[in-house]
Amino acid sequence: MEILRNLWRRKVRTSLTVIGIVMGIFALTTMGAMAEHFDALLAGGIAYYGNTVQVADANSSSGFGGGYMDLSTLSQIQRVAGVAAVSPGVFDTAKPGQASVVSMGVPDFIGNLDPNWNRYSRLKLSLAGGRWVGDGSRLEVDLGSSFAAEFHMKVGDTIALPVRPSDAQPGFVNHRFTVVGILNPTLTAPDSGAYVSLHDAQMIDGDSLPTALLGHVDPYQLITGAVVYAEPGINLDALAARINAQVPTVKATKPSTLVSAFRSGGAVFTFMTTAAALLALIIGGLSVVNTMLMSVSERVREIGLKKAIGARTRHILTEFLAEAALIGLIGGVVGYLLGLVLTTLLNGSNPSGGLFLVTPGLTALAIGFAVALGAIAGLLPAIRAARMDPVRALRAQ
Amino acid sequence: MPTLRLEGLTKHYVRASQVVRALDAVTLEIQQGEFAAVVGRSGSGKTTMLDCAGLLMRPTAGRVLLDAVDTGRLGERERAALRSRRIGFIFQEFNLLPTLSAIENVLLPLRYSGADRRAGRRRAEMLLEEMGLAERMGHRPAELSGGQQQRVAIARSLIGEPTLVFGDEPMGEVDTETAEMLLSLMRRINRESRVTFLIVTHDLDLAARADRIIHLHDGRLAADEAVGRAVGPCAALAVGAR
Repeated sequence: MEILRNLWRRKVRTSLTVIGIVMGIFALTTMGAMAEHFDALLAGGIAYYGNTVQVADANSSSGFGGGYMDLSTLSQIQRVAGVAAVSPGVFDTAKPGQASVVSMGVPDFIGNLDPNWNRYSRLKLSLAGGRWVGDGSRLEVDLGSSFAAEFHMKVGDTIALPVRPSDAQPGFVNHRFTVVGILNPTLTAPDSGAYVSLHDAQMIDGDSLPTALLGHVDPYQLITGAVVYAEPGINLDALAARINAQVPTVKATKPSTLVSAFRSGGAVFTFMTTAAALLALIIGGLSVVNTMLMSVSERVREIGLKKAIGARTRHILTEFLAEAALIGLIGGVVGYLLGLVLTTLLNGSNPSGGLFLVTPGLTALAIGFAVALGAIAGLLPAIRAARMDPVRALRAQ
Repeated sequence: MPTLRLEGLTKHYVRASQVVRALDAVTLEIQQGEFAAVVGRSGSGKTTMLDCAGLLMRPTAGRVLLDAVDTGRLGERERAALRSRRIGFIFQEFNLLPTLSAIENVLLPLRYSGADRRAGRRRAEMLLEEMGLAERMGHRPAELSGGQQQRVAIARSLIGEPTLVFGDEPMGEVDTETAEMLLSLMRRINRESRVTFLIVTHDLDLAARADRIIHLHDGRLAADEAVGRAVGPCAALAVGAR
């Protein structure tokens, strides 16, 4: 109580100092929430791509497809030593023709549900409700959590896929799908997906084939890529190299290349959080040091008195440290709550679920950091107070 | 055995490369239950003597014995513990904490001595009642008069049940009438609970109401007399001790 009253004695000064910390912790919370969001996204990517080999057509420009492969290629890949399973992949954008806006997440997509996924992948998918789309199902879809939230879908609703763009061409085709299942959030790519059977994914893909090709190719023989799962103990990079050597029409990407790409992306966000924390450290810390130094110099006689009546160095040190830590705590809680409110509002206004993820770890970090910051910044003034000579302090003017 | 014995107490300061002899070989004894006044002109060493005897300051030479314990041999922790358990202080400017109520100010020393809080609170209430402040316990210092504030400070000096109370001009900031009242209060406590008082004052009329008057002059013991009967000039004693 005495600590609160001491702080309250200098309302303006205490408030200004607290605001300094609030700003720092607010920045830390919002930047941290963004970093947590991307960390989760990237962790999912590392978990998934780290134990699969992504295969695309040899002429495609990236490991994520872009060209077409023939379905029959799968059996050639299957024969490569060390391959446990190969799944076809057919992926398309869920919102064709939409101007590509700056999106810091995974854009909504439509893809075939990989029946091998949960058996082999380290990143597991599960249903929040409904059932899985089967191999033979037609016009049924399982929606990722963000996808479902964006279109306010629940099991039993219907949705036209792909989503019709506002400036749709006259020949635009889509199909009504029944939502049969909603996935639990994974905080990563599958949340933005609409999963249909391979047949339906090929049908949608066939609709978007260039006019020149229509009638010349069978869309049900085309896939946009393949996912290879290895037998236990197989080195995936070596497996990718073997696939490239034995199946010349495809290009298998080494998982380590993808994982390191994700990791370097993660490093950027870690840097952002660290920078925000440093900002908090500088702004908040210096104002706490200043406030506490002023507080100590104003209360020299009080310190002298306390020492005269039996307070030891440790007592004085603790009292001033507690005061500084309390400034940190108040600033930390307020800054964190402001950050939480802002990120919640921004997430709410973003149809696909938002860019911020406030985890319990981030909460503990933000508030713990603020308290530690206060205490560390208060250390120098507190030591100065605790070391004071009682006689000089008592007679100070 | 005296409760307090000062032996050849000496304190030198260096100020602007000049050695100032604030206290020069003062030797005296204070018996349990005495009420002694220390008088002398400004700069005579009264406060320095009190600071050394109250274990707030270490002397340059000489010894301070509290119940025959040589306090010079104790570390800062033990000296702080002795201050909180054995010694009470009353200051000229009261030195109450402005953010604490009267009773919280009285209880402050117990925070550092680790005494039982509940028993302490009862004792604090009792002390404030004795001081005539039963109605003012929850008031902050700013809401009290000078005399009331000093009574709170006296109660604070007594909360740890000390055997020795040091007062540095405790009546210096109040009017004559209040000073009389405060002195009567301290004398009554001295009589009733046998607490030893050593009070620094420049007011000879107030000093005359003590059992004993110790005169300091230029840091030396100039005279030491029992009120009513002269003990005799003690300069000889001081010189003899050197």
